[in-house]
Amino acid sequence: MRRIGLLVVVLALVVAGSWWFFAHRAPSHSTESLTVYYTKMDGTSMGSWNVSMRPQQPGESSTEHLQNMALYAAVQSVAGPPGDVEAIRFPPGTHINTVSVHGSTATVDLSHEVTQQVGGTFGENGEFKGLVYTLTGVPGIDAVQVTVDGQKLETLPGGHVELDQPLHRSDF
Amino acid sequence: MNSINRFIARIFRGVFPGVLAIAFALGSATLPAGAASTTYLYQNQQIVFSHLASSNGVAMVGIQDPGLRGLLKTLGAIVTWRPGRRYVLITTAEPEVISFAVGDRNYDVGPVTSQASVAPFARADDVYLPLDALLRALYLAPKPDGSRTVLQPQLGSIDVRAAGTRATLVAHAGAPLAARVVSESADRIVYEFDGVGSTLERHRTIDAGGIRSLEVTTSGSIAAPKTLITISLASGATHGRVHNSGGNDFEVAFTGASSGAFPHGVAQAPATPMPAPSITPGASSVSGEQPSAPPAAAGPAQVGAVTVAQTSNGSTVDVAISGNATYQWHRLRAPDNRFWVDIQNAQLTVPPSVQAEVNPLLSLRVRQNDPTTVRIALSLAGQNVLAVSPSATGLSITVDNQQVADAAHEGSGSIGAVVSVSEAAPAVTPVPPEDYGQGSPSWKFGPRSTYVPTNPKLIVIDPGHGGSDPGSERNGTKEATLTLDMAERLRDILIARGWQVKMTRTADVDVYQPNDSARDELQARDNIANDAGARLLVSIHVNAFINSGPHGTTTYYSKPEDVPLAQYVERDVATDAGTKDDGTVKSHLYVTLHADMPAVLIETAFLSNPDDYALLVSPAWRQKVAEAIADGIDQYTQQYPVPTTGGQ
Repeated sequence: MRRIGLLVVVLALVVAGSWWFFAHRAPSHSTESLTVYYTKMDGTSMGSWNVSMRPQQPGESSTEHLQNMALYAAVQSVAGPPGDVEAIRFPPGTHINTVSVHGSTATVDLSHEVTQQVGGTFGENGEFKGLVYTLTGVPGIDAVQVTVDGQKLETLPGGHVELDQPLHRSDF
Repeated sequence: MNSINRFIARIFRGVFPGVLAIAFALGSATLPAGAASTTYLYQNQQIVFSHLASSNGVAMVGIQDPGLRGLLKTLGAIVTWRPGRRYVLITTAEPEVISFAVGDRNYDVGPVTSQASVAPFARADDVYLPLDALLRALYLAPKPDGSRTVLQPQLGSIDVRAAGTRATLVAHAGAPLAARVVSESADRIVYEFDGVGSTLERHRTIDAGGIRSLEVTTSGSIAAPKTLITISLASGATHGRVHNSGGNDFEVAFTGASSGAFPHGVAQAPATPMPAPSITPGASSVSGEQPSAPPAAAGPAQVGAVTVAQTSNGSTVDVAISGNATYQWHRLRAPDNRFWVDIQNAQLTVPPSVQAEVNPLLSLRVRQNDPTTVRIALSLAGQNVLAVSPSATGLSITVDNQQVADAAHEGSGSIGAVVSVSEAAPAVTPVPPEDYGQGSPSWKFGPRSTYVPTNPKLIVIDPGHGGSDPGSERNGTKEATLTLDMAERLRDILIARGWQVKMTRTADVDVYQPNDSARDELQARDNIANDAGARLLVSIHVNAFINSGPHGTTTYYSKPEDVPLAQYVERDVATDAGTKDDGTVKSHLYVTLHADMPAVLIETAFLSNPDDYALLVSPAWRQKVAEAIADGIDQYTQQYPVPTTGGQ
């Protein structure tokens, strides 16, 4: 009985120790980075900055990880660089509704504020170029399908860039 | 961002979690998790957190908490999260992205990674975030104030970026930063920020850009704090105007002599890097698919087949060369993405050739440039990463899909036995970019079109927008009106020069039908040109942007065969109409993509820029633009005659 009791105590300590270890370990965080691109105010050249990307976490499938990375990349791109950096930015209030990845195409659903363009090709081209360059920098993604509030648009209202097909880097 | 040195807030490391724990305990410790609530005060507004929980004694708040959502809305922050999703992303007004993930204690605020005391967790349809870390990321500090707890906006960071004799100070806070100068003398200036507190390092030595040091002090009450930044100036230092870019940011530039050192954590703005030319000396291995070199010959090197191949990363151009030669390569600066290699002491043994698009190559041309030089000219999709290196059979040019911001612009090397540049034929002096197009420019642009117009004398002009879509507007001036005016002027000029012209519209109307979709409208314009078998489609537009900064002329294109037309038109409009030449830009534009023939979209000038606006409303200027477009069309059609068949 004494041996059994000792075994139970040892097992309990192992279980508790294992729980503590897995509950408190910080997942590794510094191995991956993402380059976020924006279009400079000359309308064509690109600027960029780097943000860290979480490596795949315990319990996170490869598919889920890719979706999460795509979401992270899209949110960073739409947010744009810090406010003191001159950049072509999406219209104020534009945000990401959802991002999903099918095959190597990321579908980025933007909020309706993206339609509030002031006109001209300059802003539209620069906005989507930055988004496409950023998303296609995520390993496994080579095209970006843009939707607005869940709807596929041929162009933005009164717009110029064709949006009903996935966009690639080579389109810009 | 990496060059930015964060003067990171240290408020929260020791004091903040304790204060938060006490505040949380006062409000909710006796209530069961999930049903607790606690009240904060943010700028006299009550914030009630009701979706609260605890993890290892740390207060957690649900991302669906109405109080938290209200606070974030007040701060101008946007949450990106869906039930079941692991990531919670918050875009602040700055903008800066705060990123939490379920099960990960690490969280990111912009480029900076920090670690919370506990990891977020999911429960029911909510994700609970560590409240102390979240508030810290939002630059808010809970401060007990009698019976209530105030969320006090904090001065979160002060960055000093130095470049030469100039230093820029950027401060960021958890609330709009309204600064006022409360004291100014030759050796110091004091800025006061109402409504924000600070526990930033009190003293910091700078010694750059005219700033000797800065001092951060606080005063006022918990509910109405003040922070003072006192800047000690070097002798003769000056400061610029305060710039408040996004509400929560404060920026001011200083200029003056410094010791030249940056010893105290000041970020020195990096000089624009100029990478070394990507030339690999020595021969590289080649596969059996490489073109074979022509027979070796004495005297000049002989340049034979030029082969383009698609690779997984881009494309390669292999030039078969026998004999000894030197080469020099040159790349123009963006947005002009042309590149060429001059192989000196060389003779072309095959006919001059043109090859069409192999991404990211838009075109490739080979010709005998002068009696001793063979020129291989590439038109690229952008400022692509590019390497030129000798190979076993001659010369290899690899073009990567990746683009680089600061590409090298020239380089040189030798092929075959070592031949110094001085022994080779005299180097060809690069022709300045503005001189291109003089003489015989046919090598330099994109490929010839394989499209055969059924009516080679017909040009379709598309006045952008119209009808239900006025385009951009300023002071009652509509883009659709301006584009129609310029199109009509262009029509008259072209007809006078012997062209036939068809307009997609001649009045302020929708082309397809009233209030049609953008696609139907644009396709209708393409259909007019396609159905008529026109030689070219020229779409005239007026640009605009959210601010008045951008100005100038840009010509957009989509297809490789559009490039030459875009280059001619852009150059002539910018030169003759006196606008800033913003270059030609590739884009995925509906109207140019769906035109069978070479097509361009010209954004003539910016309605949003005061100087460009003054030009746009001038009939004389619009006439100049029309003449310049016509000149560009004439030059293009002279250099690119109509193909007689569908092939090259």
